[in-house]
Amino acid sequence: MTGALLDVTNVTVRFGGIVALDNMTLNVARGSIQAVIGPNGAGKSTLLNVITGLSSAAEGTVSFEGKRIESRTPHARTRMGIARTFQNTELFGEMSALENVMIGLDRHHSYGIVSGMSHSRRYRQSETSARQQAQDLLNLVGIGDDASVAAAALPFGKQRGLEIARALATRPKLLLLDEPAAGLRATEVESLNRILLKLRAERSLTILVIDHVMALVMAISDRISVLNFGRKIAEGDPQTVRSAPEVIKAYLGEKAAHAFGA
Amino acid sequence: MIPRLAISAIAVAAFFAAPYFLAEYHLFQICLISVTALVVLGLVVVTGLAGQISLAQSAFVALGGYGSAILTASWGVPLWATIPATAFFVALAGFVLGQLTLRISGHYLALATMAFTAIVQLALIHSDPVTGGASGMPVPPFRIFGRTLASGGELYYVVLPTTVFLFLLVRNLTHSRFGRALAAIRQSETAAEAMGIDVLRYKAVAFAASGFLGAIGGGLLASLSTYLDPAQYGITQSVYFLAIAVVGGMSSSFGAVLGSAVFVLLPNFLQSFQSYLGLVFALLLLGFIVLRPEGLASLRLLRNALVPAAKSPRASR
Amino acid sequence: MLAQVLVSSITAGAVYALIALGFVLIHKGTGVVHFGYGDQVTFGAYLVLIAQVIVGLPFWLSVLAAVLLSVLLGGVIYGGFMWPLRNASLLARIIASLALGTVLREFSRAYMGPNAWPFPFLLSPTAVSIGGILVVPANLAIVGVSLGILGVLFLLFEKTIYGKAIMAACDNRIGASLVGVRVSSVFLAVWVLASVLATFAGILVAPLLTLSPDMGLIGIKGFTAAVLGGFNSLLGAVIGGITLGILEALAGTYISSALKDMISYSILIVVILVRPQGLLGGLTIRKV
Repeated sequence: MTGALLDVTNVTVRFGGIVALDNMTLNVARGSIQAVIGPNGAGKSTLLNVITGLSSAAEGTVSFEGKRIESRTPHARTRMGIARTFQNTELFGEMSALENVMIGLDRHHSYGIVSGMSHSRRYRQSETSARQQAQDLLNLVGIGDDASVAAAALPFGKQRGLEIARALATRPKLLLLDEPAAGLRATEVESLNRILLKLRAERSLTILVIDHVMALVMAISDRISVLNFGRKIAEGDPQTVRSAPEVIKAYLGEKAAHAFGA
Repeated sequence: MIPRLAISAIAVAAFFAAPYFLAEYHLFQICLISVTALVVLGLVVVTGLAGQISLAQSAFVALGGYGSAILTASWGVPLWATIPATAFFVALAGFVLGQLTLRISGHYLALATMAFTAIVQLALIHSDPVTGGASGMPVPPFRIFGRTLASGGELYYVVLPTTVFLFLLVRNLTHSRFGRALAAIRQSETAAEAMGIDVLRYKAVAFAASGFLGAIGGGLLASLSTYLDPAQYGITQSVYFLAIAVVGGMSSSFGAVLGSAVFVLLPNFLQSFQSYLGLVFALLLLGFIVLRPEGLASLRLLRNALVPAAKSPRASR
Repeated sequence: MLAQVLVSSITAGAVYALIALGFVLIHKGTGVVHFGYGDQVTFGAYLVLIAQVIVGLPFWLSVLAAVLLSVLLGGVIYGGFMWPLRNASLLARIIASLALGTVLREFSRAYMGPNAWPFPFLLSPTAVSIGGILVVPANLAIVGVSLGILGVLFLLFEKTIYGKAIMAACDNRIGASLVGVRVSSVFLAVWVLASVLATFAGILVAPLLTLSPDMGLIGIKGFTAAVLGGFNSLLGAVIGGITLGILEALAGTYISSALKDMISYSILIVVILVRPQGLLGGLTIRKV
């Protein structure tokens, strides 16, 4: 067992005849920002689904803080401190941005069913405090003014931000981001970078991010893992990875790898 | 906007004044509307809020009515105790039924809950010694505080407060983190799960709640109708309750009251067309689900006039 | 004795199969699960009854009239309800199909009364002894027709271009329309076809079950049969129907006749839970 926050060890995931992840091993160190990149279909989303519990591994183990979690349900893993965003935003469309974030905060409330039925003082205090915390999170990701707008009505970039705010509301130790920068403009990517770095610094958050956008990946990652065809083909700090021949080959093909000088 | 306290005061005054102004028949109808609204409230919770299709409501009503009547008839325990006790056990049954949602949803859930209703009805018909079989059984009189409550005007004093109380509880819960969780589950189960919500347990609890409300409604309904007839507790009745929920507005407790009022009062206006009643109800359901699936409660005019402005978990449109 | 039970049960099984075929046809062809189909079958028989009793037409003309009216009904159901609701939530579509069935049932109840009506058999209802086992020609007709319809539909879906167009339209509306399939025409054709099938099923089944507004509850049995066979398979619908008929007859003989129906419904719940893809269906993988 390494001292890492998250250990994915020798995990294989199969869907029917397709091997989505092949003997994958990945460790995420506490307090680090790690990126997972790779061409489409490389297995990145599957990796995320295995960590969060939406997919099960045919072989291998997944451990969080040294404890095995393969048999735990997704919501149990969230309660342990793993939070995620979704590639195709899975927001609660009919609810406002504020309410979306409040859902994430809900299990930290101090009131139970009886208070919920009677709307006691405890309920009122808890709800007011939650509302405030939710607003703070919305401010953090830059959509504070849109608190009462229905999530489905928000523009795409803001929906991405809401996904992150909502995930943060669950008070995670590990934040998994599924292509958070996809479709964002350059300025939005920069502001996202700032937010993520700030989160790591102020909340000692560990972040695992999947993305294609190099402006994000190169700028904030301590370590990058490169996947292709369900296998890890390279791993290291940004500089090492960017010039690794296997990586260039995977993205650009054999000839380009030669061209870049091996 | 009238302050909430004033509305409550007026409501309480109206409650006590009504029996002096209204005939027995009207009081009976008010009771019927209340009881129906309770049953439909169960659907509002499980289908409107949590998004789980359920055709089991009529089975819960049957179990509530028969269960409490049989307990009272066999052991002499008064109805005011056996109805809640039975409801508790029916809630348990609902919780178990809700576990089905681990494996199935949508069409299969509709089918499974239909099968459940059919099984319960058949069980009641074939348990002659206990339930009176196909010919049904009479309901013991409702005794409380040494009095016997028989007419609509008398049961009124039990039915209405119970209904209002349960409605308040449900409404409060809707506006709490529990209601939020159900709404989240309805909109995206995947995301709800990712937010730490135990989706399966919440869905099972929603079924349990629909069972509890259905059973209380069933118990009170039995007292009002004084006779239990198994033919009244089939899949057709489940669809009837669903129709009320759709027409009234499935996602709000107010919708349950609205829909019940419409369906209970409508026969009064169709005096000569009694045999076409079922058809009218079915056409209402069809019309609303195609043209206005959010139901009557969604009409702005009604909402602003009658519902005090409370914090709603829904975003403003 | 066992042989007799089995032969008799195949009748019930064929009834279920006939209704299951309609369910599967609609689902395979349009992707919709029509909860009101059982009531539509009943309504088909009522159309014949109304033509006979109210209008006074002779039996075979009544049948013709009913078939023509059911073509119209199929069109109305599709155009008035299924097409407008094609993008609505699953809940709305389930409720709509339930509502349609209820409307048809309540109309029959209001117009022709809640009591049962006798319905003429197409073939002789008296049993004939073949090799010591009693066989009823009228029942054989049901089995024969079920198999015949199965054959026709099977050929349609597997062998003709129309069948492929239907499957394409059902699978991927936009894609199919891009390659030139007129999706709305396809769906309309399926609904009309299913509606006519319902009327034929009603005519065959009504004499057996006696015609009453609640005959539509047989729909659940048909549904069970379809689920048993794997909801997307026509062959499965027939096999599921026969299987259900046999299981029911065996349960009725060896366990309890009164509890026969309860056992069927329990079978449904068990199958849904344990093997939702049915006996013949294959597992589908969904990508998250």
